[in-house]
Formats: sequence, C-alpha cells, structure tokens
Amino acid sequence: MQFPAAAKPPVGIVFDSAMGRIDDVLALAMLHGFDGKDQARTAAICVSSGDLQAAQFCDAVGRFYASATTGPAAMFMHFMPIGLADAGAKPASASPMLGKPADASAIKSIIDTADAATLIRNVLMAQYDQNAAVVLSGPATDLAKLLDMYGVKDWIARKVRLLCVADAGMQADAAAAEKVFAEWPTPIVTAGREIGEALPFPGDSIEKDFAYASAHPVADAYRAYRPMPYDAPSFTMAAMLYAVHPNDGYFKLSGSGNRRELIFDPEQKDRILRAYVEMASAKPVARKPRRPPDDKKDEKKDDKKEDEKKKEAVQ
Amino acid sequence: MITKKALPRRTFLRGMGTAVALPFLDAMVPALAAATTAKPPVRMAFVYVPNGIMMNGWNPDYEGKLGELPRILKPLEPYRQDITLFGNLTHNTGRALLDGAGDHGRCCASYLTGVQPRKTVIDIKAGVSFDQIVANQVGKKTRFPSLELGMEDARQAGDCDSGYSCAYTNNLAWKSETQPLPPVLDPRALFERLFGNGLALTPAARARENLYRRSILDFVSDDTRKLETGLGPTDRRKLDEYLSSIREIERQIEKAEKDNAQIDPHMEKPYGVPADFAEHFKLMSDMMTVAFQSDLTRVITFLVTHEGTSRPYREIDIPDGHHPLTHHRNQPDLIEKVTQINSYHVRQFATWIAKMRSIREGDGSLLDNCMIVYGAGLSDGNRHLHEDLPTLIAGRGGNHFKTGRRIVYRKETPMCNLYLAMMDRMGVHVEHFGDSTGRLDALDLT
Repeated sequence: MQFPAAAKPPVGIVFDSAMGRIDDVLALAMLHGFDGKDQARTAAICVSSGDLQAAQFCDAVGRFYASATTGPAAMFMHFMPIGLADAGAKPASASPMLGKPADASAIKSIIDTADAATLIRNVLMAQYDQNAAVVLSGPATDLAKLLDMYGVKDWIARKVRLLCVADAGMQADAAAAEKVFAEWPTPIVTAGREIGEALPFPGDSIEKDFAYASAHPVADAYRAYRPMPYDAPSFTMAAMLYAVHPNDGYFKLSGSGNRRELIFDPEQKDRILRAYVEMASAKPVARKPRRPPDDKKDEKKDDKKEDEKKKEAVQ
Repeated sequence: MITKKALPRRTFLRGMGTAVALPFLDAMVPALAAATTAKPPVRMAFVYVPNGIMMNGWNPDYEGKLGELPRILKPLEPYRQDITLFGNLTHNTGRALLDGAGDHGRCCASYLTGVQPRKTVIDIKAGVSFDQIVANQVGKKTRFPSLELGMEDARQAGDCDSGYSCAYTNNLAWKSETQPLPPVLDPRALFERLFGNGLALTPAARARENLYRRSILDFVSDDTRKLETGLGPTDRRKLDEYLSSIREIERQIEKAEKDNAQIDPHMEKPYGVPADFAEHFKLMSDMMTVAFQSDLTRVITFLVTHEGTSRPYREIDIPDGHHPLTHHRNQPDLIEKVTQINSYHVRQFATWIAKMRSIREGDGSLLDNCMIVYGAGLSDGNRHLHEDLPTLIAGRGGNHFKTGRRIVYRKETPMCNLYLAMMDRMGVHVEHFGDSTGRLDALDLT
C-alpha cells in the first residue's frame, strides 16, 4: 500500500470471510499463493465474524508466508492490520481449526485490529482503477457497513471490477446480504453450494504438498477441522480462483447482467483442483521491497539537493 | 440591588496606533451571571513537528492512566494530568495511494486537510483545512480568525519532495483547496500584527521608531491607568502579569535583534528571528499565550519546522540534518540523535504548556480551556508510516476532556475523527471531514 509498483500490478484482493470453514482457510492460503507468484496482491484480509481468534489466525498465517523475507526487505516489510467486524464483541469461537494462533500473531486485543469497513475503504483508495476484486465468504456485515460510509460507493465503482461471493453462510446476516445485493455498484458473481461440493479439495494433499514446513498453520488447521482423511468442499476457493482469474475458463457464468453465478464445467475439474492445490500449498516467497527504484532514486536526489541548500544557508 | 456594569470582553487599551487586547478578567463577568453563564472560550492550536518521531521513545507500553512517560515525552511528565495521548490514529490520505514517493509533501498537506494533495509543483491543490473551517465560524468573534506561525523557511514555490510543491511541506493551514496560509516566522512581525493595529511597519518606519524606542505599553499607559482604577485586586494582579508578559516579549525581540546584529552579518535570517531554536520557540509560544489569553484568536497552527526539513540542531550538538538522520537504517547512533531532536522539541513544548497552565482563567487555567495538539504527520520517519501518528492533546477543551490518559483506538482509525470531535468542542458541527468515519469516542468526562 505504501509503495505501489510503477507498472500496473496484478489484481488487489480484499478477502472478507467469517473464517468459520476450512475452505475459508484454504482460500486464505490460495491468496498468499497467488500473491507469492505475482498473480494477485493481498489488499486486505478481514474477519466478518468479529472473532478475535480468527483475526489472530489470519495474522499468524500472514506472518508464516512473510517468514521467507529477510534482510533489508524485511526491515521495510509492512504488515497490514487484519480487519475485524465492528466491536469484535463476540466471544472467541474456540474453533479447533483456528488452533492457538495468539503466540504467532501480533494481535493481542481488539486494538491491534482495524475496523473492517474502514480498512477496506482505505485499501481500495490505493488500488488502480478496476484493478481490485472483493471475495466474500460468510455474512456481508462488513460490506454493508462499507456501503454506508460517506462517499465510498463511488470509490468502489471506480476501483473494484468484481464482487465474488461464496454463497454458503451469507444469510447469517440477511439484512446485510439484502443491502449488498441491492446497492453494490459492481458486477456480483456467486459461487453456489453445488460448485463447492462438486470440487472438493483433496485431503491427501495436506500430507504431501504442505510437508515442506514442519509446522504449517494451514495444514494444522485442516487436520484440526475434522478427523482425517477427508476432502473439503471448496465454496470460497472457487470464489477466490474466479476473482483472480475470471477470464481463464475455469468456470462458466449463468445468465447476464450484473448478478451472475458460477457454473461448474466437469471438463475443468482436474484443472481447477490442480490450481487449488498449487496455490494453497505454495511455499512462502521472499519479497522485495515494493518501492519503485526510480522513486527511491528521486527521493535520494531530492534529499541531497535539500541538504546542499541547507548547508549553503548556514554557511 | 446589584447594578455594577460588566467590562466588555472586547475591551482594548488604545493609544498612538496601538490596541492591546485584554485577558479574561473577573470584571468582564456580570455579577449575577457569574456562576452560570460566564465561561471562557475554548481555543485550539496545532504544534506540528516534522519527519516523524522515534515511536519507541513516544508510546508508553500501557493504556489508561498516564504514569511514567517514555523518554521523548519525559519533559511533559509534570503535566501528565493535563494531557491525553492517542494511539493508532491514521492519515490514509498521506499514503502514496498510487502517487509514488513524496510522503513528506503528502503528510504535511493532508495533516489538517484530510485530503490527498495533487502531486505537482505548479497547480497545487489540497483542501480546506479543518482549522480554517473552525476559524470561519468562531473567528468572527475575535480580531484574528486564526494565526499561522512557523520557525523555518516558508518558501512557497519549487519542488520540496519528489514532485510535491514546497507549498505542501511548508504550510499547515489551507484557506481554500488552492490557497495555503503561509506561517509568520518573524516574532517582530507577529508582535506588530497582534498589538500594532495589524499594521506591520516598513523597515524605514521601524528605523524611525527605533530612534525613539519605547515599549508599546507606554503608548497605552493612559488607558491602563484609567482601567486599573475600576478593577478589583485580583483583576489588577492579572492585568499586571499580562502586561508584564507583553513587555517581556518585547525585551526578547529587542535582544534577538541585537544578537542577530552581532552574530553573523551573512546569515539569511529574517529580521528579529532569534538564532537560538529554544529562544525562538519561547518567543513564538509566549505570543501564542498572549493571543489566547487576550482572545485575539481562538485558532493557531504552528509549523515548528517545515516537513522534510534537514535543519541541523547545533544547539544540542547535532550538526547532522534532521531528515537524513531519520533514515537511520536502524543504526543506534543515528537513532539516538533523532531521539534527542524529538526530546528537544518536546522540551520546548513542555515549557509552553507550563506557562499556559500557570495562567488562571475562570475556574481553572488557560490551558484547561484549550486543546493544544502536538504531533507529526509521520510516525516512523525511517519507513514513512502514516499510521499510529504521534498525537497528544494538552488541555481539557473547556473542561470537556478527561485527561491524564492514553487512549488507544483500533488501527486505521482516521485522524479526521479526532478533528470532528474537536470541532464539536469548538461549537462547529459538521457531519464529515476528510476521510472521517465518525467522531472519536471515549474522550469526554462523561
């Protein structure tokens, strides 16, 4: 957010989920995978359930993926706060899937998180026009609040090309869902239940593809979510994949207009599952500082000029 | 029956083209109304320091009641009951937001305007700053709607930061989105503006005046004598202290002018500006005190040095430029120097706060009726971060604020939310400002 690249970067993803199902966790891992391969950028991660433990988990996962970055780049690495639905008043879910992330997270209390709607507004302002997508899984509480913020609808229309919704769980806040479907100013694509069930994430990948790390927060969550072995429905992963690669033929779309649904194409099943596994199990990648080299040079030049002026002034 | 007539609040001591405003006196309170309606006005000021602050020397490791303060804030420890320290306030519009380098230009221009400035050196554009929104309303009640002060180079043209005009780094207040209000740097010019009917003298006129140099108080002595006869002992003491403080400012300016003449004829310093940083700061803060005390204005912005400055601090044996030092690359010796500069600034501020606190007004002190924000547009000057901005308020805003606390809000909480809360205290009610998302809560006594 501080130092955008000089060329138009890959799509910025705002991921807002309840972090209540394992496919939310896998979609989060996919997002970090896309980010590491420069196919997408993590613009913001938000937890709509108000569960502090879930926010800690997301933060811990982010730090796991950042761990490959060392040296000067790490010094300038900037962790975006995790957005958490208003108040965060709900008691911790104590979900076994979320484990005990507090040790690996910098979040100790609600003040270490950001209000989700404010965070989303702020990061959208930093995106190139039509170069952001929002992935929603779970209640639309945060997005409904975002729509009520002063002047924000114009920013959404300008910056966001697509809202991609994993349908399962959205009705937990029916009023928010209704508001978002009525007022959201960009096309909306929904990944329905049948998509998630038709494309189960292969559970055997956990022991194979995530084994590069002795303690992998995503693999640990998968094992804790249900007794192994099991394959997990992939509602949110489908929404994430489509949000990043809408034109790559993974899915077909129903109907026309601004509200459409993903349609499962059996011919694409293997390709989609390969993409799921590849992105969710991608290793952490060492990142370079995002500041464009030219800007760095300019700033040094300006500093030098300024320093020379000052020296002249005092001589 | 009580018939005593109250002295009007806008009473001036006049004489020879001079008008000296008066502080808030008991005699200005109608006898029967004293207990209920007479409340001194609320004033606000912003004291802005550049290049961020070493946050590990600023942020205490606790919330709630202020106890021992970290190193940079140490000078304020005796006055901790009068301050509120904020955590996690953010200026998103100071961030790059696709405009690349130039955090110094952006952070200063967005600090009070709450908008992202246009990246340009020619057709500048930011927004109306919130102090000016307040000044437009409450300024009608005072001689000066607002005062803009500074202590360094107020150049308005040219490129001061990676394509950002110097107008962005050298001004805090913006009257319109294209018109910044440059700060007054010269204490003499400020003094004449405050007390000389607003007419700054030309150098020739000043030279004539210097031949017969007299205190401004000499010009108003007849009015002073007349006024004193009708005052009670408390008001007489207040008036005496007030007029003495004006005389003291005059003496400091005279001394500065003499010193400058002796120091270095090649130094490009405005006439009357003390060479010593602390002396200059004290002079400006003394005049801010008088301006508030006499209700000449209720809104002041004070850009201590301009954003991105590379000013050296030889006063504390730091010959290196401030800005290059802040890019310390985690080198302990450089971090130490930045910390010393930050502490030095706070020491000057603490001296001012002590003075404001010592002046009685109404049921409390002058400070009680003020909101004096001290802060910066960057937190970490090394990484150019725009979140968790170092921000404190000294004063109770007219006994509204519950002070002596550190309040940490959630991350990304807009700084503009604080401005909305402050506007409320100033009696100016607006629904949105900049990127505000609501009013900052948890500030008040109730």
